[in-house]
Amino acid sequence: MEKLAENKIIEDLLPQKFGKQGQIWVISLLAVCALGFYAYCRQLYYGLEVTALRDYASWGIYISNFVFFVAISLVGSLITAVLRLTDVHWSTPLTRIAEIIAVSAISFAGLIIIVDMGRPDRFYNLFTHGRLQSPIIWDVIVITTYLFISLLLLYFPLLPDLKIMIGYKERNGKYLQKLYEFLGSFWKNKPEQFKITDKAINILSVTIIPVAFAIHTVTSWLFATTYRPGWDSTNFGAYFISGAFLVGAGGVLIAMYVFRTHYKLEKYITDDHFNKMGKIVVLLALVYLYFNINEFLVPAFKMKKAEEEHLMGLFTGEFSPIFWFAISASMLVPILILVTKKGRTPKWAFFAGILVVVGSWFKRFLIVTPTLLHPFLPMHDVPKNYMHYFPTWEEWAIAGGSLAGALLVITFFARIFPIIPIHETIIETESHEKA
Amino acid sequence: MNTKENSRREFLATTLLAGAALAGCGGNPFTPDEVTDVKPSGEMVKLLSVDGEIIEVDKAFLKPVPEMPPVPNSEARVGIPGKKFAMVIDLSRCKSVKKCQSACNHMHHIHPGQNWIKVYPMQESEKTAPYWQPTTCMHCDEPPCVKVCPVDATFKRKDGIVLIDSDRCVGCRFCMAACPYSSRVFNWEEPQIEKEIADKPYSCETSVPQKKGTVGKCDFCPDMVRQGGLPHCVSACPNGVFFFGDILEDSVTNGSETFRFSELIKDKSGYRLMEDLGTKPSVYYLPPVNRNFPFENSEEKEKA
Amino acid sequence: MRKHKIIQVLVLVIALVPSLLMAQAVEKNSLSLNLKYYNDNNITHHLLVQAKSKIDGKFQQIPNIPVEFYITTDADKANLLGKGITNGKGEALIEIPPTAKMEWLKSPNQTFVVTAAATKNFDDAKGELAITKAKLKIDTAEGRMITAKIVALVDTTWKPIAAVDVIVGVRRLGGILNANETQTYPTDSATGGVTAEFKRDSIPGDQKGNIVLVASVVDNETYGNLTAEMVVPWGKKSVYMTNFDHRTLFARRGHSPFWLEILAYTIVVGVWSVIIFLLVQIKNIKKLGVE
Repeated sequence: MEKLAENKIIEDLLPQKFGKQGQIWVISLLAVCALGFYAYCRQLYYGLEVTALRDYASWGIYISNFVFFVAISLVGSLITAVLRLTDVHWSTPLTRIAEIIAVSAISFAGLIIIVDMGRPDRFYNLFTHGRLQSPIIWDVIVITTYLFISLLLLYFPLLPDLKIMIGYKERNGKYLQKLYEFLGSFWKNKPEQFKITDKAINILSVTIIPVAFAIHTVTSWLFATTYRPGWDSTNFGAYFISGAFLVGAGGVLIAMYVFRTHYKLEKYITDDHFNKMGKIVVLLALVYLYFNINEFLVPAFKMKKAEEEHLMGLFTGEFSPIFWFAISASMLVPILILVTKKGRTPKWAFFAGILVVVGSWFKRFLIVTPTLLHPFLPMHDVPKNYMHYFPTWEEWAIAGGSLAGALLVITFFARIFPIIPIHETIIETESHEKA
Repeated sequence: MNTKENSRREFLATTLLAGAALAGCGGNPFTPDEVTDVKPSGEMVKLLSVDGEIIEVDKAFLKPVPEMPPVPNSEARVGIPGKKFAMVIDLSRCKSVKKCQSACNHMHHIHPGQNWIKVYPMQESEKTAPYWQPTTCMHCDEPPCVKVCPVDATFKRKDGIVLIDSDRCVGCRFCMAACPYSSRVFNWEEPQIEKEIADKPYSCETSVPQKKGTVGKCDFCPDMVRQGGLPHCVSACPNGVFFFGDILEDSVTNGSETFRFSELIKDKSGYRLMEDLGTKPSVYYLPPVNRNFPFENSEEKEKA
Repeated sequence: MRKHKIIQVLVLVIALVPSLLMAQAVEKNSLSLNLKYYNDNNITHHLLVQAKSKIDGKFQQIPNIPVEFYITTDADKANLLGKGITNGKGEALIEIPPTAKMEWLKSPNQTFVVTAAATKNFDDAKGELAITKAKLKIDTAEGRMITAKIVALVDTTWKPIAAVDVIVGVRRLGGILNANETQTYPTDSATGGVTAEFKRDSIPGDQKGNIVLVASVVDNETYGNLTAEMVVPWGKKSVYMTNFDHRTLFARRGHSPFWLEILAYTIVVGVWSVIIFLLVQIKNIKKLGVE
């Protein structure tokens, strides 16, 4: 890292007011959210009838969106915990980006699952009548836990930064100042305090890894605990987790690029960061590819009757365009881009990140829907429109609204708090200088 | 079985035996029935006996049992004591008349287009014989749908019936994904039923009225069984395809013919669907052998 | 004058035509009421009516038809036994009430009437049934034999009746399981009785091995439906087993397997104690800051 004066670092990293671009961005996100909200009101009024979901395809893009959110939230544990525990320091500027992605994604995962419920008014039944045998209850428990741990992991490293920001009273304005003081007025930079936070962050880093594995493994079990071809797989937990790390890392690539260019953070999110994250994405894509091969090649080798229809639907049938798009966009093309040195430059890496995230979203769609449309007994004695699934505008609007909402949370977070940890960057620079 | 039920049975048996010993002196309307553990309702009715005497009878012991209000939810969740229901579907008799389906749809006020009973045209492979396969809910002994329900909205009862409590269901549809027999349907919109039906008090034994945003499926008509009747599909089928009964009594009936369950399954090589999944269904099938009618798929003709 | 009359007739015809056409438009379906008599174990007895109509060439059961049951004749309102509404299967039934005592004791033969007033879609209808009072008696004999005997009231004495088909078997859910391979037995001309060998060895009974034997006459033209029941200890003692209260994955709330509960609660308690510990640490940091 370049030699930088402490004041300069603080100056560079303090949260900034929205510029014109920022305002347009926020307004358009709000508009998408509002449309989603309108669509949801319609759904509440008319019931799930407004969706294209029917008795066979009873889960659709709400559930694939849910899986997508849970997946992308795993990145918090990857960047903060795994890299921290392995003593990798270059990732320090990325930790907060990763954590806020995790917090916002996991919150919207919880919301979208309520959207999918036929009777959201009875949500409390999950607590008053919860059955421990049901994987849904496991999911409710682990997702709540993960949200709390992620919030703590966001909060502890924020304390020293809060003290710095409290010093800029005029710049902050009345309300933000109050918020900062509420959250961190007690932080005095005492060595004893640092001792406690360091210990707490270490404990959290250890705890979050199994919990992160749990959220996505349990989410995969929502499918793998059934008998259906395409879901009935012992590979599912590992397959989901590897895919989650990949999409999360892709998401970080995008966020890195956006924050870097928008907030002029080239000195902090450097080319080298893209280089290193690019390599990580290649590794993760290869791991995910490995699990995909396991997931599809092994049953395809046997071609059991029930599996055959489902697999052929993916390989050459109805779903083949999406299938091959998802496989190439989420894995093959990003690998090809990011293995080259030029591919790991910010712009190319950003592009690869977008491919990974979009491809992964469609991959989640393919995990949910085609299986439901290939039941054991042939689809029969139902109206014709029950045999296909293409989401209605309400579904797209609600799913889009939830994605926009998650982006809004990240955007506002970056408006209020330093998206790159100030204190830790100063420490890193100092230790760099000493060395 | 608890002692209360025990003493009730003994009471029934002794009263009837005493009645029989008195050689038709009449006056005792109690018929002991080891299969229906009917509890006295406490509501007495005055009737004229066959001998022209005026007698008093508890309403619950009348046969056929008059229509009683639905049992409370706590009782509906436990089931009818001392029973284990099963169904036998004789594929050799099914011509896809679909009277079962229409009776079921009618009696349960199922949303138009949806069906709890489906009649599949089946053909295992190109050179094997086509046949009709009606499916109901299999009422599995190890039901995968019940395993995954997060809120006890679908449950397995003592009498083997798997029911849904539409007042509890949150509409997550996990059970629909878990059921390998595709027997569950969802009320995607407000049910299109007459006000009179919609205003009826809901009971999970009648499954009426259906409720928006919840799951529905074949319920083996426990309300009919409580009245001493048979499920609607059984009595509606003109070909006697469906047999219903209590496995603990070792008998099944389609209304006109009654067989010993064990003998029927043994003689006709009964089997269950997807045995390899380990769901242990309560519905048995008799193979489609010796059919003296052709397999005519009119639906396919319509399509073509 | 004559002209006048012609005009009158013309007016009449013109006035009638629309109403005739109207009548054509709302043509009602004819309803048939099929009445049946049931003698239940020689104690109580009831009437059942089935409402049917031929619609589009097919007989259909008609629900929601209000019906009135009468004894002897429907001309006298005093003979009203009661009212009913046909259910989803097009059936309604009534137990014979005490008010029928006088009529019932008058004669060995009895007529019942059921009526339905005209409704929006159906014409009014009437069904009649005449029966001769009869009793079916059941007993057992040496060697697991079941005997049944049918007697009918002739003047004032009960006399045996021949050539009536009787089903003999065991009462089961929803039906009667025949005592052996024979479906029905015709009653003997001399005694009015039938004898059936009980061949349902080891058929499950209740916990004491009791089963209910049944003799039944179904839809006899003269006597209606008769049943007689008796309890015998000929069944296998049943042992009722259920896994309802077992801890399984498909059991209800609070009945999950121990391994699952231990596993789940250990993990939840473990992770949440870490979270609580960390929340306490935040408090500690606060304390340090305030000092």
